[in-house]
Amino acid sequence: MRKKMSAPSELYCWKGERGLPSVDPDCLTVLAYAKFAGAPLKVHKIANPWRSPTGSLPALKTSEDGSLSQPHKIIIHLRKQKYNADYDLSAKEGADTLAFISLLEEKLLPALIYAFWVDSKNYVEVTRRWYAENIPFPLNFYLPTRMHSHALDRLRLVRGDSGLEPGDEAEKELYRDAYECMTLLSQRLGTQKFFFGDFPSSLDAYVFGQLAPLLKVKLPNCKLQQHLKSLDNLCHYCSHILDLYFQNEASDGPARKAPTPREDGSDFDNEPHKRRNQFLSVLVALGAMVGYAFLTGIVSIQRSDPHNALHGRRAPQLAGDEVDDEDGE
Amino acid sequence: MSLAAEAFVSQIAAAEPWPENAALYQPLKDDQILLSDHASSLAVQAYLRMCNLPVQVACRANAEYMSPSGKVPFIHIGNQVVSELGPIVQFIKAKGHSLSDGLGEVQKAEMKAYMELVNNMLLTAELYIQWCDENTAKEITRPRFSSPYTWPLNHVLAYQKQWEVRRKMKAIGWAGKTLDQVYEDVSQCCQALSQRLGTQPYFFNKQPTELDALVFGHLFTILTTQLTSDELGEKVKNYSNLLSFCRRIEQNYFEDHDKDSITSSTSHLSKGSSLM
Repeated sequence: MRKKMSAPSELYCWKGERGLPSVDPDCLTVLAYAKFAGAPLKVHKIANPWRSPTGSLPALKTSEDGSLSQPHKIIIHLRKQKYNADYDLSAKEGADTLAFISLLEEKLLPALIYAFWVDSKNYVEVTRRWYAENIPFPLNFYLPTRMHSHALDRLRLVRGDSGLEPGDEAEKELYRDAYECMTLLSQRLGTQKFFFGDFPSSLDAYVFGQLAPLLKVKLPNCKLQQHLKSLDNLCHYCSHILDLYFQNEASDGPARKAPTPREDGSDFDNEPHKRRNQFLSVLVALGAMVGYAFLTGIVSIQRSDPHNALHGRRAPQLAGDEVDDEDGE
Repeated sequence: MSLAAEAFVSQIAAAEPWPENAALYQPLKDDQILLSDHASSLAVQAYLRMCNLPVQVACRANAEYMSPSGKVPFIHIGNQVVSELGPIVQFIKAKGHSLSDGLGEVQKAEMKAYMELVNNMLLTAELYIQWCDENTAKEITRPRFSSPYTWPLNHVLAYQKQWEVRRKMKAIGWAGKTLDQVYEDVSQCCQALSQRLGTQPYFFNKQPTELDALVFGHLFTILTTQLTSDELGEKVKNYSNLLSFCRRIEQNYFEDHDKDSITSSTSHLSKGSSLM
């Protein structure tokens, strides 16, 4: 495979957590594909989608073709640059890839979106909290809610069900399709290392991208996770890819995973922001208190002329003289 | 349907044999039905014929509104109504007829995956071409969709449906695609299907399955429908094994029953008649 020598393209994606290189399934797919195909990419892990060249993540900034955003387009671009993980696949395997990717998108992705974004408990305790903590101020008040309503809209439109509310009915149907999909994937994978033999391909990137967050992120309310954990070969498959290709991310994981004994550590990690935020908040509080005091007149500064100051100094003397006089008489 | 309701329905379904007066409802054949709806309807008809289950096709202008899920076609069996190919296959399976029982697990996984491929790529492409391509929408889709209604309802309904479809395209990321890219996707999908089919008579060798019915429904409709340009049909015609596949199913399942049902439905949609 002749590799084109050019300035490495830059990939912007969501940062990761708990051993995952990224929390977003699309970003994971692109990262995995880049590793599988050996594409040299400069990866920027950020938590602010407005800093990416296209306004959304993942985004690939290339030297010639501008910026691309969907994982599908990014993978096609990498393939054109001769970084092709599907080079060795037969025609039938290529066809199977397309079919299984469609299966993932139709059956598993809606359930994932539901589990992370629509299910109330998961959304409030895990997803929204993570995004609010990691997106810089002031976007962290606005973006998670917008992403939530986006996800809800998408689910409603895709299912053609304008009355979708987080609730048992919808959840059961979505999860049932997802269980079936995961079972089918497990059957197709069998005991192989990757879906098409010993080397990973783009299908592996897509499957990994969707299953890895489900495996690693602890959701309070998740039957999907339980079902996935019951499919041993898929769990081993994801862990295998993480160990093999994302080794350095995995070693950062434990440091963040145990916050209590290493609390100082994590504080130091976030220190620049945290200190600055603390300082700013104290300043704002002080300023508010002082301003209030002045406005209501509890404290007042009177500007005194040199003139008045002298009079002011004399006045007590006069009062004192009067008193003396009074005493005297 | 919730899981409990579904279990209940399948129990009832299993109890009764296939009635004689089963009916399949779709929009009006000549004037109203659109490419995507016709493809879905033909797929269900093909599946029923493959299972040897008789059904009468009834055309109604409000079929879309009668359907429990809002999508056509739907079948009316006894006192139950089931819409869309997936649930219909399940329903028929509960009655004891199934075409995919003989498949191994890996093959079943592949079959489901390829059915999703057709739904994901071909059906979405059909919807895109009908509703998001302004030319086609103006000349063919909107007039056909609103033909049973009088003014001003026809305009209202047509634009409402168009808006809905465009929103869906935006949500799944197809709004940014150009028509050429959509044709390219159709071509890729056909290539995948062609490679999977190879030289076999059906996708899983000797016996047809629901995948064959679905693929036939879509490809046959694409080949025999006249749109503003012939490019969609040309993309499919590039693959000769797909053409012979469609011909084979048409011959085996549609010609020895009444020829009218399929050719009359297509002759109004297209200038030519059947594939021959």
